[in-house]
Formats: sequence, structure tokens, C-alpha cells
Amino acid sequence: MRISDCMKKNVFSIPATATVRDAVQLFVSHHIGLLPVLNPDNHPVGVVGLLDLLELALPAAIHMLEDVDFIGDFGALETYRPPEEVLAQPITRLMRPGTVVRADSGLVRAYALMLQHKLHDLPVVDAEGRLIGIASRVDIGTLILSGWL
Amino acid sequence: MAPLILSSIVFVACLGFIFSEKLNRTIAALAGAALMIGLGKLLGFYSETEAIASIDWNTLGLLMGMMILVAMLEPTGFFQYMAVWASRLSKGSPFRLLVLLGSVTTVLSMFLDNVTTVVLIAPVTILISEVLGLSPAPFLIAEALLSNTGGVATLVGDPPNVLIGSAAGLSFNDFLTHSLPVVAVAWLAALLLLNLMFRKELRGARVNQEAVARLQPEEALNDRRSAVRILIVIGGAIVFFFLHSLLHLTPSFVALSAAAVALLVVRPPLDDVLRRVEWSVLVFFGALFVMVGGLEKAGALESIVSLFEKGATIPPALFGVLLIWAVAILSAVVDNVPITIALIPVIQGLGENGINPEPLWWALAFGAGFGGNGTIIGSSANIVVAVMSEKTRHPISSILWLRRGLPVMIVTCLIASLIFFLAYDLFTG
Repeated sequence: MRISDCMKKNVFSIPATATVRDAVQLFVSHHIGLLPVLNPDNHPVGVVGLLDLLELALPAAIHMLEDVDFIGDFGALETYRPPEEVLAQPITRLMRPGTVVRADSGLVRAYALMLQHKLHDLPVVDAEGRLIGIASRVDIGTLILSGWL
Repeated sequence: MAPLILSSIVFVACLGFIFSEKLNRTIAALAGAALMIGLGKLLGFYSETEAIASIDWNTLGLLMGMMILVAMLEPTGFFQYMAVWASRLSKGSPFRLLVLLGSVTTVLSMFLDNVTTVVLIAPVTILISEVLGLSPAPFLIAEALLSNTGGVATLVGDPPNVLIGSAAGLSFNDFLTHSLPVVAVAWLAALLLLNLMFRKELRGARVNQEAVARLQPEEALNDRRSAVRILIVIGGAIVFFFLHSLLHLTPSFVALSAAAVALLVVRPPLDDVLRRVEWSVLVFFGALFVMVGGLEKAGALESIVSLFEKGATIPPALFGVLLIWAVAILSAVVDNVPITIALIPVIQGLGENGINPEPLWWALAFGAGFGGNGTIIGSSANIVVAVMSEKTRHPISSILWLRRGLPVMIVTCLIASLIFFLAYDLFTG
């Protein structure tokens, strides 16, 4: 079995020329976790995750502390909204290099890649490197398990 | 003449590297120490045996003992507990928050390493101020400035004090009777000045009261049992610090014994504890001792002593005031540890030449301690909070530090100078 057997073909992506606000719009309206960023030829040049955007709302101190149990109420941070200039900046500012697999990749290999790179969704490309689908951990994992029945 | 010139070049070049931050300070000092011994052997002015003998083991032992205690206290969450407790106590008043966080940082850093204190309290400060909808910058700057200022009060509060105390034979109580009163006035003045300078940020802020009420200090304390045991041991060490000259114990013996008792009582994973000890600081100190030992043997310090002797023809109280300012200005731009280590043999030299060194030790302590407030690179605590603030939405720039820290440095040095000048007799013996 190949990853092309379980990937979603209806994949949402965002052009490299889009803004952070455009990405927010796509995440909200489609309820997704990862957006591949594409160049005009449909080749992924990186990815932006829901968590990358949520980092904007989190204070950096979160990463400096082992736990934050002592804060019973996140107060002002609960209603924090990034300033306009942050939302208007190009999405490429928040983009990170993405891991992609080719459609003929085996499932266990794809799953191993996701584990290693701590990914929840894996963009799939054709032989020419164009985006053709996306597979989640659940898509891949359940297809592997189905082979055991 | 060659040893004098070459050893001075090695020392000044080393200070230059530390100042420019082109090289890690410990690497710079270690390379300088190796070069100094190499030159000494080559030109016959300094040997390995003399280099080892120039290291002040009492200072290193005291620092290491206190570092082990802090390394054990660190994972218990005690520092975070104190910061959260202080924040809750503020009841949402930004001014009270500044005073309480500043006070907690100061009190802790009077007895424990102030860099560790700031490293552990600053992230909590950043998070709490953001939760309350405040900029963390005033609180972070206040914590660093007030802990630098407060650290001057005790023998163990500040590395220059450890060095001065060890070289001059000043006891813990000597610092409490001579330095603490000056620091208390200077600290209060610094606090008032900070409140004045940050009035816009503090008064204009609307604090989320509900979030303050829901702060839970006890949640920050991960290991209450160990924290209590270590604090009891630290308390015992402080009692022995009070008594050390009476019992003829060195402060390093007290600190290392306390570390041994704490390790025995708590039995933490030793590797974890030793990993938290700042070995690079200890190596830095050791290397500086070796370098300054070389300077001394090369006769470089004698020239400075004679230069100082000429200066000492002016009234001694005025000479001390000038020393406060000279050391403070130097400490604002270069690490105060090498400045102190280099000036110690100079003051000892003056003492041997018939000038009373006692007031000069205090002038050195005030200058080195208060001078570090002036610039963002003036002390390690300043650098720590500035680097942490870069990850927040309100980074602290060098200019902002200069605008807030320099007035604090000037006011605290003025207060120290005034008290030193007016009550000069108190510092003479």
C-alpha cells in the first residue's frame, strides 16, 4: 500500500504571496491543521501550521518555564489579538521548511517521517514535485492497521 | 621592562575581548592565563607554582558551595514560588508588583547567586506581566537593577564582595555593618527612581484583577519537602556566616559544609546538581587570579600602586569617593570581576606602603556593585533579563537600559559617595 491510497486529494494550500490574515481565514473556514505554501508552479516551498500561528498568541515565557500550572487565569492573553501589521505580513515570514513525500512512498516510511519530524499532516507530491494531496497520522495509521485484520 | 609591558598587554587584550564580546569571557581569561604563564616562564617572571598560589581558593570555595546550594534549590520551584507569591500579594497594583518582585529578587540575591535568581524569576515575571496585560520591561529592569544594588549589602551577595571579603579579611558582619546601611538607602532611592521613571507604564496600566486572584503560588513549588530542607540548611549557613570570624571559620568552609549537609539530607541526583553548577564562572575566576598574579609578579601593579599613591596625597575621603566613581564607570562597561581582581593587589600594595586600605575596600565594593547598573552589559543579571526580553513583545534595548539604568547607577553612586564622605570614620576600621 502507498500513501496515495489514503491521502486526501482535496487539499487546501496557500500561495507564497498570501498574507498571515489569508492563512488565518483558510484555517478557520476549513478547520484544518496544516497549509502547504505553494509557488506559482504548485510546488510546495514550505508549510504553515495552525500551531505556528497560535505561537503569536502565546508569550515566549511559556517556553522558558517547565510548567505554568500556577497561572489559574491567562487574563489578558486570552483576548490577545496580533496587531494589524503582523496579520498583514507575508505568510512566508511564518513559513517553515516542509517535509513532503512522493505519492508512491510506503506507509510505514511516511509514518516514520511524521514521527521523526513531529508532524501531524504530510503533504504528498507527484513525480514532478507538484502538490497532489495530504495525509494525516490517522489516515496513514488506520490504513496500516487495516492490513492486520 | 619587557615582562611589565607584555603582561599588561595580555591583561588589557583579555579585557578587550571580554568587553567586545568577541570571545566567551571564560575562554578569553583561560587563554590569557595560559599566555601569562607561558610568558612568565619564558621571561622568568612567573612560574606554574606561583600561578597556582595566586588563586584565591577561599573565593572559589565560597562560590562553589553557594552554587551547589542554588543548584539544589533551583528544581524545587522555590524561586518561581516566591515570584508568584509576590505577584499575588501585589493585588494587581503595578507599582506594588514592581516593589514586591524587586524586593523578592533582591532578598534572594543578597544570599544566593543573583544571576540564577534573575534567570529563574524573570520568565515568571514575563508571563505574569503579560497575563496582567502589562509590559514586562519595567519589572525585568527593576529586578536586575535592584538585585545588583541589593547584592552589594552582603559578603555573599555579589562576586566582587566575595573577592574583596576574602582578600581584605572582611567578615560577613563587616558587610552588614558597613555596606548594608549604605545599600539600604541606595536601594530605596533606586526603587523610588524606578517608580518615577516608569510612572507612565505603571500608572496607565489596567490590570486584570481576576487573573491576579487566580495565581496559585503553591502550584509552582514542585518539591516542597526538598525546598524546606535546603532552605533550613541555607538558613544555618547564614547563621554560621554571622559567626564565622568569631569561630575562626572561613566563609568557604561554611558554604562548602552547607552544600555537603544539603546533599546529605536531600540526596538529589548528583549529576543533575553538578550540571547546574556554573563551572565556567569558577574557571573564569581561577584564570583571572592566575592572570593578575602574573601582572603582580611582572611588577605591572607596582606602577599602578605608585600612581595611586600620588593620588592618595589628596584627602583620603575624597580619594575614596574618586575610587567609587572610577570603579563604577569601569564596571559599567567592563565585567566588574576582572576590575576587582586587578584592583585588589593594588589596594593591598597601598596598604603595605602605609595607606589605610580599609576605606578603599568599601569604595571598591560600592563602585563595582553599583557601577554594573549603568549599561545593559554592566552585569550578568542585566544581560540575562535583556536577552529574555527579546523574546517578548517589549524587548529591552541598550538605549532603554541606558535611560533607566544610568540614572540608577548615578544616584546609587552619589548616595554611596555622600555617606562615604560624610561618615568616613566609620569606614576606616
